Amino acid sequence: MSRSRKEKNQSQNKTAAIIFILAFVLCSIFIVAKTNVQVPAAGKTMMFFLSPFQKTFSWFGGGVSELSGSVEEMQNLQSENETLREEVKKLRAENLNASEALSENQRLRALLGYKQNATQFDMVAASIVGRESVTWSSVVTINRGLLDGVADNMAVVTELGLVGHIVEAGLNTSKVQLILDPRSSVGTLIQRPESRVAGIVEGDINNPNAPKMVNIPKDADVKEDDMIVTSGFGGVYPKGIVVGKIKEIHNDEGGLLKHGIVATTVNFEKLEDVAVIIESREAPPDPLPPVIQSEANTEVDAAELAKQMELSKQVQQEVRDRVKQAQIQQLEQAKQSGGGTAN
Amino acid sequence: MKLNIILSWAILIILMYAAQTSLLPYIGYNGVSVNLMLLLTVSTAFVHGYKHGVLMGLVTGILQDFTTGSYFGCSIFSYMIIGLFFGKFSDRIFKEQLLFPVLSAPLAATMYFFIVTSLLFLIGYKIDFLHMIQTILQPLIIYQVAFSWLIHKLVYDFDKFAKRHG
Repeated sequence: MSRSRKEKNQSQNKTAAIIFILAFVLCSIFIVAKTNVQVPAAGKTMMFFLSPFQKTFSWFGGGVSELSGSVEEMQNLQSENETLREEVKKLRAENLNASEALSENQRLRALLGYKQNATQFDMVAASIVGRESVTWSSVVTINRGLLDGVADNMAVVTELGLVGHIVEAGLNTSKVQLILDPRSSVGTLIQRPESRVAGIVEGDINNPNAPKMVNIPKDADVKEDDMIVTSGFGGVYPKGIVVGKIKEIHNDEGGLLKHGIVATTVNFEKLEDVAVIIESREAPPDPLPPVIQSEANTEVDAAELAKQMELSKQVQQEVRDRVKQAQIQQLEQAKQSGGGTAN
Repeated sequence: MKLNIILSWAILIILMYAAQTSLLPYIGYNGVSVNLMLLLTVSTAFVHGYKHGVLMGLVTGILQDFTTGSYFGCSIFSYMIIGLFFGKFSDRIFKEQLLFPVLSAPLAATMYFFIVTSLLFLIGYKIDFLHMIQTILQPLIIYQVAFSWLIHKLVYDFDKFAKRHG
């Protein structure tokens, strides 16, 4: 009798423990969502132990992906020429490793080309080793961490454009929040010189493949196919990195603002290699052309000088305008205390 | 003895999670691929009962929430509820029976989808449920059904192996 009561008590205790844990987790979800509290030590420790397995599987997955790509290519060839297809199949099978290396080489060369052109950035190349299985959020894991000079809030790019930023840097791996994530927000500008309208690009939970450029005034000069670049406001993303282009424009419900659906320049489904910007400077100005000192061109130089002064005045005015816009944006962000912060 | 069993399960979970996050996304559709942690939780609940199902949900949820940078707690909460629910059927089905876990995969995926989207809705996101059912739930169900038999067989055989060698 007492034994069965003891068992019953134990069972009740376990049920109570389960209910307590569930209630605790439920409360944590809302507290973490509102306060953005993180537990970096636990996450970093788990990532440290998990990363070797992820790297191995990712390497293997890259090979499988390359193999499936090759198979697809061979199927097309089959319809054109059966004999040639067989030959290609044999060659593909033999050169699987070589083609994987070539593909990686091409990607890294493109990345290196961007790295050499973008002299204002110091970058570290990285590969993606982990993704989520369901797209509630868009966070990927890369194989670079604190030991490689990567730190929180560094921008991540490819040669095609902006990818996201580091949200948690571990020892040898880091989590990158993509610009598709609903919690991400990037300060941006329309690249077209006569427009330069500022807005925020943020992820859309209902359409994880196409973020939105929001907070655009209804009468602002924004058209479809306008290129969007980062504005540099906020300090996370350096200025001038391409984000994408406006695919569609829709009016907001309130009637004062509109938003644009953005087609990103980076193909996030095929993202394999990225670069982390560990240091960014202002782009160096183009070198001035040498001026030949002679009596004949003295007047020309004076006219050039006047033009340059006029130009510099215009630039100053533009900078003032942008600072003003940034201040207005910051004020708006301060008002929206409940939402995420614009980067 | 017990330590050996725990270590074996830990290795299995880590390997499956590494495969889920790094290898299986290559066969994903629009960013959705199979969720092995969900299948693992359901199969464990069927084989061992609701207490182990909840425990497995807790462990896989913690692993997923800490390492992916997703919305913290959503996976822990949903996996624990699913482990609890399917564990209640543990003593009513034959554990060797593989059809029931396969049939339960769409239900588990649907439960997971609605728990997480409801939590996101309560957090404050505007959710277009119909659109998300089409873009996330439908492919997820197909993937879960495709892998459920394999994972249940793996869990069932691994359990026997761990008991024999533990």
